[in-house]
Amino acid sequence: MISLLQSDFLLDSVMKFVETSGFGAFFAPGGWKFAVMIALACFLLYLAIKKQFEPLLLLPIAFGMLLTNLPGAEMYHSELFAGGHVHWDIFVDNAGLIDYLYLGVKLGIYPCLIFVGVGAMTDFGPLIANPKSFLLGAAAQLGIFATFLGAYALGFAPNECGSIGIIGGADGPTSIFLTARLAPELLGPIAIAAYSYMALVPVIQPPIMKALTTKKERMIKMSQLRQVSKTEKIIFPVIITIIISLLLPSAAPLVGCLMLGNLMKECGVVDRLSKTVQNELMNIVVIFLGISVGATATADSFLNFKTLGILVLGIVAFSCGTAGGLLLAKFMNLFLPEGKKINPLIGSAGVSAVPMAARVSQTVGQKENPSNFLLMHAMGPNVAGVVGSAVAAGILLAFLS
Amino acid sequence: MDKFANVGWPEMLLMAALGFSVVFAVLVLLIFVMKAMGWVFTHQKKAAKAAVAGAAAAEEEHDAITDQEIAAAIITALKLYKSNLHDQESEMLTINRITRAYSPWSSKIHGLTQLPERK
Repeated sequence: MISLLQSDFLLDSVMKFVETSGFGAFFAPGGWKFAVMIALACFLLYLAIKKQFEPLLLLPIAFGMLLTNLPGAEMYHSELFAGGHVHWDIFVDNAGLIDYLYLGVKLGIYPCLIFVGVGAMTDFGPLIANPKSFLLGAAAQLGIFATFLGAYALGFAPNECGSIGIIGGADGPTSIFLTARLAPELLGPIAIAAYSYMALVPVIQPPIMKALTTKKERMIKMSQLRQVSKTEKIIFPVIITIIISLLLPSAAPLVGCLMLGNLMKECGVVDRLSKTVQNELMNIVVIFLGISVGATATADSFLNFKTLGILVLGIVAFSCGTAGGLLLAKFMNLFLPEGKKINPLIGSAGVSAVPMAARVSQTVGQKENPSNFLLMHAMGPNVAGVVGSAVAAGILLAFLS
Repeated sequence: MDKFANVGWPEMLLMAALGFSVVFAVLVLLIFVMKAMGWVFTHQKKAAKAAVAGAAAAEEEHDAITDQEIAAAIITALKLYKSNLHDQESEMLTINRITRAYSPWSSKIHGLTQLPERK
């Protein structure tokens, strides 16, 4: 027995086992990074579960992050996607589970499928009733282009600037779609920044809204929107798809999928499909998207100054977008007659965090005037923001890809 | 990134300005399209409402002319009906067997309060 314990073979085997185990990797050079990333993933899980910060997405993202940073698990290999494209020649031999799931992100499938579901859940009625909302949705895209320049000032490459700027659109699938094409190495930090700040919209927006508007402006009551017929709601997605896809073919996948989902909902003849894309398909894709995006947040790609810069620029993007919508609404009021003025608070809903941003407009408006109901008015710029950010993504893709 | 080697501040500023302008231009175009669509639909609704209102007015006018004649006809008919009532009543009395289609919902067998069978 003693001789067995003293044998080199056993000692070597035990040492080999310790070295190949995940615990051993923590003590290897640079192993502390894994520990930090696991702690960060657990913190994000805490935010998702306890604080309910966008839990539907943050939970799978955080868990994907946890899986990818478990040393030795080998579930995601960034080298298979190095240089911005899939290395098919070595893919099948080396790929892990998350590598296969990540193909949906890399090939731009998941964001588009999510947009089908988003379209099926969105009511464009307030936007059709008040087309001026498109202007507010456009103004809120200021955040994208201001941050695009801000990122360049911080030393990011132009393609990275485009990916970081799109955080200002406050639209998770669009951010992922664009980043997977322009700067896939930044996908993890950008997705986490986008979804975290989207969850923080009720915290970020109100101080900016109050700072840029007067009490009198916040109390403005808006006239009731006209009723929109079913035919208009059916024609709307078809027209938007045709116009935007012809003008900006690079925005066609996102806008086309968004409008397909909406058409399914509005036409009323494919209820089964509409319910499926709103629920089952959406939920399945969210799981795959969340896990695979979270998995891109490896220690090497996440723990650097770029991530810090992205987090700072993300909040700048949201703030600029909010300010852009508010200021344009104020500007429009200079030309509108009394009684037709718009409450500038609905401008902040131009960032496309649907329907969170519209709810914030409603809440802030009701604090000033409890009899004021801005929700439906704010939904117009809110859904216009979705279209606007998809258009902006198409433009950045056309410029930078 | 070699592709962006020649990109400097002037190009970035131009891209940002151009990008923001294109977003605005596309969405402004959509405003005009939606306004036009809204105009067509509200116009159609108004025309339909006007047509319905016109038809109703014409009907009212027509009613005013014939109201008295119709009232007279109804009163005459009622008078005749009431005065002739029972005139041609059949004197033959029959007992008709009433049969109802079977339905488990109306079946007493399946009722909760079944009466004891008489033997």
